[in-house]
Amino acid sequence: MAIIEVRELSKTFRTKENTVEALKNISLDIEKGDIFGIIGMSGAGKSTLVRCLNYLEIPTAGTVLIDGRDLGQLSGKELRELRSSIGMIFQNFNLLMQQTVLNNVCFPLTLHGASRQEAKEKAQKLLETVGLAEKESSYPAQLSGGQRQRVAIARALACDPKILLCDEATSALDPQTTQSILQLLKKINQETGITIVIITHQMQVVREICRHVAIVENGEIVEKGLVEDIFTHPQSHAGRQLVIEGKDPDEWEKEHGTSVGNSPTTPILHAGKVIRIVFSGTSSFEPTIANMILTVGKPVNILKADTKDVGGVARGEMILGLAGDGDVCGAQISYLKEHGLAVEDITESYTRTATA
Amino acid sequence: MTSKEIFMIIEGIRDSLYMTIVATLFGYVIGLPWGIVLSVTGKDGIRPQAAVYRVLDFITNIMRSLPFLILLILVLPLTELIVGKTYGPTATIVPLVISAAPLIARMVESSLNEVDHGVIEAAQSMGAGTMQIIWHVLLGEARVSLVSGATITIGTILGYSAMAGIVGGGGLGDIAVRYGYYRWQANILVTTVILLIVLMQVFQLVGSVISVRMDKRHA
Repeated sequence: MAIIEVRELSKTFRTKENTVEALKNISLDIEKGDIFGIIGMSGAGKSTLVRCLNYLEIPTAGTVLIDGRDLGQLSGKELRELRSSIGMIFQNFNLLMQQTVLNNVCFPLTLHGASRQEAKEKAQKLLETVGLAEKESSYPAQLSGGQRQRVAIARALACDPKILLCDEATSALDPQTTQSILQLLKKINQETGITIVIITHQMQVVREICRHVAIVENGEIVEKGLVEDIFTHPQSHAGRQLVIEGKDPDEWEKEHGTSVGNSPTTPILHAGKVIRIVFSGTSSFEPTIANMILTVGKPVNILKADTKDVGGVARGEMILGLAGDGDVCGAQISYLKEHGLAVEDITESYTRTATA
Repeated sequence: MTSKEIFMIIEGIRDSLYMTIVATLFGYVIGLPWGIVLSVTGKDGIRPQAAVYRVLDFITNIMRSLPFLILLILVLPLTELIVGKTYGPTATIVPLVISAAPLIARMVESSLNEVDHGVIEAAQSMGAGTMQIIWHVLLGEARVSLVSGATITIGTILGYSAMAGIVGGGGLGDIAVRYGYYRWQANILVTTVILLIVLMQVFQLVGSVISVRMDKRHA
């Protein structure tokens, strides 16, 4: 059963001047134990969406069910109790700056009535989990960004939550620290079975640890599914930009209509097709492209080749420009498909962005 | 200066300290909750209540706009009622408190409004209630700013207490008015002024040391 069920959720912000529809008719199921990514550009409404999951934002319409309980039906006290089963971490860590690391982790425990001693023991255990046992009497200002986020994670886990919400938790961190935080989240997910919801604008984060992903654009979910599937066959325009063009959501709009027409690959694109191939772990070892060229007898142009880690599995990604007429292209594509590769014709989107 | 005059000045120091400290304490008893309510019910507070805020805000502004000397005279009947007389240090505490409370409320409000909204949100996400947020997050995180505010407040009240000397309020201000102004005894006037400056410096120094010691936001 899904631990989080979102049904036809909408959120509208009204000010005197205008009305902003931040979320439109969102429906979403998140399974227990999943790591679920929600990706979209800033202002797409994803932060509002995650705040609706613990009712920090109250939706204008629709329902949110956590473990089958409708958050809209809970009293203030019941809601506060339920929130202790949903941990949350933030982009800016949001630690108590005047309290020690230990007190920060103790804070949620004492809020819910734990004794000082119980809280302290639990907090020390959690600080060990996140690798900061020796920092317990430091203050947040004395820690690096990555360490602060680890403290925030320990704090979020203090009440043994079933769900962990991460709101752009790695956006303020450098790539290396982002990696270590993601690995920590993955480890916690594997060890405790906690459900993790990750809001991000970085595709890397989704690829790295998420099992499922929803792509949010202008307050709507335009695509959702297994990360693997979306990585192999993105359906929506936003999805294709993310996966094929490798653009993080914040680049989506900027690039619309701008010229990159002087790309050296442009001439050949007009001649034939552009395809994208995704290799799974095993097929990377066979020289499939070389064999295809030998078999069909026509050259191909490698426009892009890359290896990405999708959910812990290395995935090769290659974009090929196929010269020649339809028959040859057809033969090349069917050869690749016969050899178990996922092939996608991206001629249209590729030439559009390359020559627009 | 005669020994009698020296004794009088020592008593003046004692009375000034007594008025200032007691008035500040009572001022906080009223002003702190008042400031908390202002901050909490404000537009960006944790429990916005437009009506409550507007009423309190209005009252605060009215009281803040009354000059202390006018207020001192206006509340004379109330002082008489509470203390039983209208002169002397204890009587002066009444208008001092009335004048300090809205000032303190504003100081507290602005200190609490400075607290990072993200930290409040984090506490809400943990299921903290309004009182828990006020106590642990707002007051806890704003403590340095609150101490700085208190330092400014205590200095202002010291100044007001000296002003009350005009109507026989007691303390160093009273001595300065009676001996310095009415009798042209320059040495006593200068001594009281120097003592007031020293007291102000001491309050400021103590306040600064406490707030620096308390602040854990630096690496």
